[in-house]
Amino acid sequence: MRATAEPAGSTPRRSARVAGYAWRALLPIAAVAAILAVLPPLWFGDSPFTTSLAVKALVFASYGIGFNLIFGSTNQLFLCVGALAGIGGYGAAILSDRTSLSIWAGIAVGTASAAIVGGLLSWIAVRRSLGVIFTGIVTLVFSLAFANLLLGQRDLTGAETGLVLTDGAVKLADDRVAAYYLFAGVLVGCLIVFRVLQLSHIGWAFRGLRDDEVAAELAGVDVARYRIYAATVGSAMIGLTGALYAYSVGFIQPATYAFDQVDVRVLVLTAFGGLGTLLGPVIGAAVFAFVDEELSSSLELRELFYGIFVISIFLFFRRGVVQTVVGLFNRALARGRGKPTLQPSRE
Amino acid sequence: MRAVVLDGIVLGLALGLLGVGMTLVYGLGGVINLAYGQIVVLGAIVTSLVMDEGVSTVLAALVGVSATVGVAVLLDLTLLRPVYRQHGEERILMGLLLTLGAAFVIGGLLTWRYPIGALFVNVSGEPVSIVGVPLARGSVWASVIALVVAAVLLLFFGVTTFGRGIRSVIQDETGSRLVGINPSLVRKVVFALSGALAGIVAITYSMSAPLTVNAGFELTTFALIVTVVGGLGSVAGAFLAGVLLGIVNAVSAHYIGQYITTIILLGTAALTLLVRPRGLLGR
Repeated sequence: MRATAEPAGSTPRRSARVAGYAWRALLPIAAVAAILAVLPPLWFGDSPFTTSLAVKALVFASYGIGFNLIFGSTNQLFLCVGALAGIGGYGAAILSDRTSLSIWAGIAVGTASAAIVGGLLSWIAVRRSLGVIFTGIVTLVFSLAFANLLLGQRDLTGAETGLVLTDGAVKLADDRVAAYYLFAGVLVGCLIVFRVLQLSHIGWAFRGLRDDEVAAELAGVDVARYRIYAATVGSAMIGLTGALYAYSVGFIQPATYAFDQVDVRVLVLTAFGGLGTLLGPVIGAAVFAFVDEELSSSLELRELFYGIFVISIFLFFRRGVVQTVVGLFNRALARGRGKPTLQPSRE
Repeated sequence: MRAVVLDGIVLGLALGLLGVGMTLVYGLGGVINLAYGQIVVLGAIVTSLVMDEGVSTVLAALVGVSATVGVAVLLDLTLLRPVYRQHGEERILMGLLLTLGAAFVIGGLLTWRYPIGALFVNVSGEPVSIVGVPLARGSVWASVIALVVAAVLLLFFGVTTFGRGIRSVIQDETGSRLVGINPSLVRKVVFALSGALAGIVAITYSMSAPLTVNAGFELTTFALIVTVVGGLGSVAGAFLAGVLLGIVNAVSAHYIGQYITTIILLGTAALTLLVRPRGLLGR
């Protein structure tokens, strides 16, 4: 699509322009990667506590990017982020626990299972043309059923007592800084995938079907196919993160992937950062790492503040904080120069 | 077996009321009130606090019901105002997220202030024998109240002009406006009604087992399942689905086990959505 939209120029100039374009598109990701790389030496040093908090923030940022790809890009309200991460985590843990396969095989199988389940859920939603709300209910029902399955299958999952991961976990769980860099790498990987999808023809289809499904369908976009793509890729991100997280903490229980622990946070932080934006989940996860730390003394107060957060975000910052700030910035610049220079990454 | 089914019916009637409270609000404009379970819990906590002051149970129950009515109407007047200004999926989504936020606020406040709060209405007296099965007095009262409320509701919606007016808004908002019905007034009445049902459920539920402060999420889930299976927007459907699911729940929990039962209930809801999205009695 883009190729036809561009005027035909001479090949070297065009490739230089494409390179410049790609560089600008990847600049925010490079900035994030640079910040993540220098954080441990500059700030947390060797404090295991702060590093653990940072790892958790990175994990939730990656969940958020997966969720953002599914919901923010293609309007499928997947209220089963925790369950998908749990499929990855429990899948990997059970497989490497029961068989002699290496942990990497376990992680691969866990990720693939999450991707397949996410794709199937999306396929069902598309085939039965469930709207946003029914997709939300079906996936919510799925996550509750998954939580009960974890509790019911005591032999496999250990129910509330949880599952201790023995091999591989030892390395990652002891070395928090290594875990930090691992999850920073996963996060940057997810960001790159998200960006590449945004820039490719798939991104055009996403924007088209999100803005107006019928118009997109009429313009020849296979809405069903792109929805399933988004769900599969997003679920793979979530499953991979969930599986790696299981190994990094060395111990998982149903609460690790419970709806109120994972989905609520992911929804809130993604909405806070801005649905559909590249860096929204990253900013949201960073902010919420601080908020959580402040509110860690009381779980009930945390619930209360989450509620107030959700309400105020959706009442006052409908487009998320990133978009609102960029919008204000543009307006301030436009007054000086006459035209906006900074575009929200969503456009 | 008979005892189990009877228990299921008692639970099912309470679930039916819960479903009606949620389905009415949904039918009115596509808002799924995810704070519904928390409103029920609020009614229970208020009632138990008033009862602790030494007030009689009936009076305390009235105070509890008025509290839930108040909160429901307040929700309509404040938070849901901007929601009803939206249309289509935007409205549905915003309603879902804002009521989810309200659920956290109410639930968080209650568990913070009353971490061990619970309501248990103790109905004294000998068990009553029904079809040869002794049934606790509390369960009998709960069922009678639920049946009376159900009958009153069905009469209200079937016979009175105002009840029909509400149904017309549910069927077609624009059309009802054209024949002179005020949708905003109807909405207030429906929210009050939904709040009253939440209060009543809090009382009847706690007649057979204590209703604890953290039951909100579970109650919302139950209400959602019942509403979905009964057909979003259908009062009779919600009752029917409530009783059916109550029986399924009791029988399966007795013979198979609780975890599988929950999965069966959730599976029923998912299957209904996929096979017959309008539910048992939905339009």
